[in-house]
Amino acid sequence: MSRSAAHLVVFACNWDGLTCIEAAAQAGLSYPASVRVVRVSCLSRVHQGLILKAFELGAAGVMLLGCKPGNCQFDVDARYIAGEYEKARMLLRLLGLGEERLVLCHMARSDGSGFVKQVATFAQEIEQMQPAVPARA
Amino acid sequence: MFDIEREISDTKIRLCLDCGKCTVVCPIAQHDSEFNPRLIVQRRLTQNSSNPQDETIWECLSCYMCVERCNYRVKFPEFIHGLRAEALAEGAQLQCTRGGALQALQHLMAREELQQDRLNWLPQDIELTEQYDTIFFVGCAPYFDIVFSDLEVNTLKGVEGALRLLNRVQVPFNILANERCCGRDLLLQGDREGFLALARVNMEEFERRGVKKIITNCPECHYTFKADYAKLPGGTAIEVAHLTEVIAPLLQSGELSLGELEKRATYHDPCTLGRCSRIFDEPRHILAAVAGLDVVEMEQSREKALCCGASPWVYCGAVNREVQEQRLAQAEAVGADILVTSCPKCQIHLRCCQKSGDGTVPRVEIQDLAYLAARSLDSGGEAID
Ligand code: SF4
Repeated sequence: MSRSAAHLVVFACNWDGLTCIEAAAQAGLSYPASVRVVRVSCLSRVHQGLILKAFELGAAGVMLLGCKPGNCQFDVDARYIAGEYEKARMLLRLLGLGEERLVLCHMARSDGSGFVKQVATFAQEIEQMQPAVPARA
Repeated sequence: MFDIEREISDTKIRLCLDCGKCTVVCPIAQHDSEFNPRLIVQRRLTQNSSNPQDETIWECLSCYMCVERCNYRVKFPEFIHGLRAEALAEGAQLQCTRGGALQALQHLMAREELQQDRLNWLPQDIELTEQYDTIFFVGCAPYFDIVFSDLEVNTLKGVEGALRLLNRVQVPFNILANERCCGRDLLLQGDREGFLALARVNMEEFERRGVKKIITNCPECHYTFKADYAKLPGGTAIEVAHLTEVIAPLLQSGELSLGELEKRATYHDPCTLGRCSRIFDEPRHILAAVAGLDVVEMEQSREKALCCGASPWVYCGAVNREVQEQRLAQAEAVGADILVTSCPKCQIHLRCCQKSGDGTVPRVEIQDLAYLAARSLDSGGEAID
């Protein structure tokens, strides 16, 4: 598998997280083509199982993109995601893939350029790491 | 390729006399009238293809209670594993517990190039050998303690206890820094390809390191190496021992003595260690050697022990809860302070029941056997709590 296939998966919450990606698109900003966005109703939906599944399917990095603390539509994401994020990071460390392959970003509504900056930096960091092990054939 | 004839002959399913004893003892059938091991077989054999509607195949606990009772030792659970493999091949979706985290971990661990960083917990003072002639196989405990941290389980304590006991009796061993999951849970859930991938990387590593003997604390790894790896092409001729088989004789010969613990404990036989590996006495010898420990037996024990009630990280529901509550109630009924088990998965499943119950579930403490025995060592003859 070539390195360009090393996808980044962004789990974006349907609220402030997704508005950042839409704002980036509307402003005509570009971000790496390897980014795949998965829209979820709230980051509290993204548990360790989903994060690991993304890696199992060949992702080289995963970004969790959600609302700023206090802005969650359901008032729960901070409580749930912090725990699951920590667990997933520890599991990635044990696996030897590296905890840096998972990041959590809380962004203000419609911050398109902020998102592009974050995701491009993340893509660059992943690019500099050892390639993630290729997925099973 | 799935071959039903082969499954039939491997599991001796045609010997089934339709007597129904399996259903009488099956813990799932007791709580779910829809579930019936014998009828699952019958339904599949009276038609020429798989039965995707037969959801009940996912409920079996692989507890081997039915096999224990069957006069012909028909391997119902293994036939059901075959039906699961068939269903998966036809596109069935697994209902995974913990959002599929365990399945994903197992698949990730099967990657050959993986270089895990899984020994950070290892205490400095544990003595390891240079060579790999004898290894202690840690199993998935480092992963379990993270995935299930909200249940406050500490399965690594059991591993650590096992290592301390081995050091104390000067049984030399080393640990593989990059061991993978043994793959048992994938095998039980019908993911044979996933199991084989894990077995292959493990077996290659054993071969490369010149492993001659494996000691485990996890009954699942123990049985998988002994029964399933041995059957694979190029199957390993490595000697496999469960920790209790190493420790119990040394207690009996007086080479090791344990400390004191003023508690009442009951031993929960893990299905795989008991009914599959036939290790019933050794764990009890170890408990009997702890001074002051009042050991009592639950209503169902040894060959008849009740399962901890959960399947290999799939399909866990109300019926499983009922089985777990029943087991914890049995421990409470004999007044046990501690329910001792030697399986990390039993610990997790029973803790889960205690944590998510409505508060009426018995709060008996759940401890790993090796942890309890090692802890008593430190008491220096003094009672510890
Ligand atoms: S293995 Fe256990 S749960 Fe499965 S059919 Fe047999 S008795 Fe029932």
